[in-house]
Amino acid sequence: MRPVSGNGKFSAELVKRVEALWERYPDRKAALLPALHLIQKERDGWLSDETIRDAAELFDVPDMHIKGIVGFYDMFHGQPVGRHVVRLCKTLSCKLRGADELRAHVREKYGVLNGETTADGRFTFKCFECLGHCEVAPMMLVDEEKHTELTTDKLDAVLEALA
Amino acid sequence: MSKIQEHRVMLKYADDPEQATLAGYRHNGGYKALEKALESMTPDQVTEEVLASGLRGRGGAGFPTGRKWQFVPETDKPKYLAVNADESEPGTCKDRQIMELDPHQMLEGSLLCCYAIGAETAYIYIRGEYPHSIKATERAIEEAREAGLVGKNILGTDFSCDVWVHPGAGAYICGEETALLTSLEGNRGYPRIKPPFPAVEGLWRCPTIVNNVESLACVVHIINNGAEWFKGLGCEGSTGTRLFCVSGHIARPGVYELECGKFTLRELLEDFCGGTGTGRPIKGVMPGGSSFQVLTPDELDCTFDSDSVQKAGSSLGSGAIMVFDDSVSAVEVALNIAEFYSHESCGQCTPCREGSDWVRKLVARFCRGEAREGDIELLMDVTDRMDGTTICALAEALVWPVQSYVRKFRSEFEAGITRRAAEHEFGGFSKPVESVP
Repeated sequence: MRPVSGNGKFSAELVKRVEALWERYPDRKAALLPALHLIQKERDGWLSDETIRDAAELFDVPDMHIKGIVGFYDMFHGQPVGRHVVRLCKTLSCKLRGADELRAHVREKYGVLNGETTADGRFTFKCFECLGHCEVAPMMLVDEEKHTELTTDKLDAVLEALA
Repeated sequence: MSKIQEHRVMLKYADDPEQATLAGYRHNGGYKALEKALESMTPDQVTEEVLASGLRGRGGAGFPTGRKWQFVPETDKPKYLAVNADESEPGTCKDRQIMELDPHQMLEGSLLCCYAIGAETAYIYIRGEYPHSIKATERAIEEAREAGLVGKNILGTDFSCDVWVHPGAGAYICGEETALLTSLEGNRGYPRIKPPFPAVEGLWRCPTIVNNVESLACVVHIINNGAEWFKGLGCEGSTGTRLFCVSGHIARPGVYELECGKFTLRELLEDFCGGTGTGRPIKGVMPGGSSFQVLTPDELDCTFDSDSVQKAGSSLGSGAIMVFDDSVSAVEVALNIAEFYSHESCGQCTPCREGSDWVRKLVARFCRGEAREGDIELLMDVTDRMDGTTICALAEALVWPVQSYVRKFRSEFEAGITRRAAEHEFGGFSKPVESVP
């Protein structure tokens, strides 16, 4: 989409959505987290220094403020990511039900460690702290879909189906 | 059959697929409490009812909800409700059930709170890793807005209230109430020094109530059925029903709605949940998330309620019970916990930022069977120096469980000291531990 409003750096659709977010708070800065989720999606899933500068301009805050946010929250990526992000829960309930074995399996079969992207760019693998699905452990989030009571077979079926 | 029965109030309609819709929720009696409050109760009466019910916050700290609401001062400033849906305590997966299966219940409870404290805006801060909860809640708010239940002049009264979902982005610390506010204002999620408490000075320095999702769901039923009815459930100090998440080595993991004070922790785990399910005995139980002390098999005969579990030396915390059997190394569990807190420390206070990393490295050393003589004393010393020296309780949430593991499983830590490793079952830790970047 051709940029038409905002600071001209983002799509009109995105700017419209950010402006709607601003209406919700007495201070625009409060919309940063929801807005950065949208911006990250529009910019190939990560927040480069250039994107951070563009967002800082849109929000009229110092770019270091946004850089600080990106470094703080695990769901914002300061580095390029694959086409999908796979988040495997590593915390106690999942660990007790086989998360370590799943992690080892991912390392062996797909050749990626925590934080790495597969050579074909298909997915970035992240070990996450408790994802709140302890009763159906072990689990992973693939983008916004959840996969529970995982086995290595189930995990393979999900990962191999990713485009 | 177990003598323990679930008593479903909040999860009564959780199996009804229509419950997540406005029509389904209303069909099952939804928004009756809001109608009742707006028609026949003053805001103060709503607060009084909640106070009289004995409801204690369900996020982990257990502060009386009605008392909290009473801290909101008379002022011309705007007031806010921030719903704490940043459910991140390890083992905790209960608020997710409410948001995904019955989001209107949380919304109705939020509106009741706003009415009671005089807030015209509520933000529901949902952790970013809960996309399904975010979508279900947004859908519920949209439906409610169209039906005149959210927005201007709700149900034709003078009461107006807007409600918005605010997604987090992956930071455990944002479940701490002041960090949640700092995060919501568009910053790194740093906790603030209390006082001032959020009820006096919260979002944009205005009075703000921060309540857990389950606490607000309880409010709906308190207004519908009265404080006396709620007090008749559970026991003194743990009134009403509570959601408990049972996970780890357990035959029947799940989220269960239970009345406290009617059975022991052992009965819950061994009868109701069927034991470990691995054919091996229980070795340890974390009864309230990972932020409190581990209990050993000889400590499970306490009555299952907040005060009794506290007397047994731990806490029901956020209602997350994690169980592990005797195939597991206690040091390895301690390491998993230490990794969690060192990753999640916000970095603001030096004792926590540096200390949590030291603790992680020290426990890892025991895990690898490479600890040195004196490392147990060093570990206790470092953790002692973190206790009580920071702005928020994250440091204690690491110190208490780790120290409890050292005290209760000391021989396993001793076995991690290099020269003794070969002589112990869990010594010299068999699997390599991947370092956490």
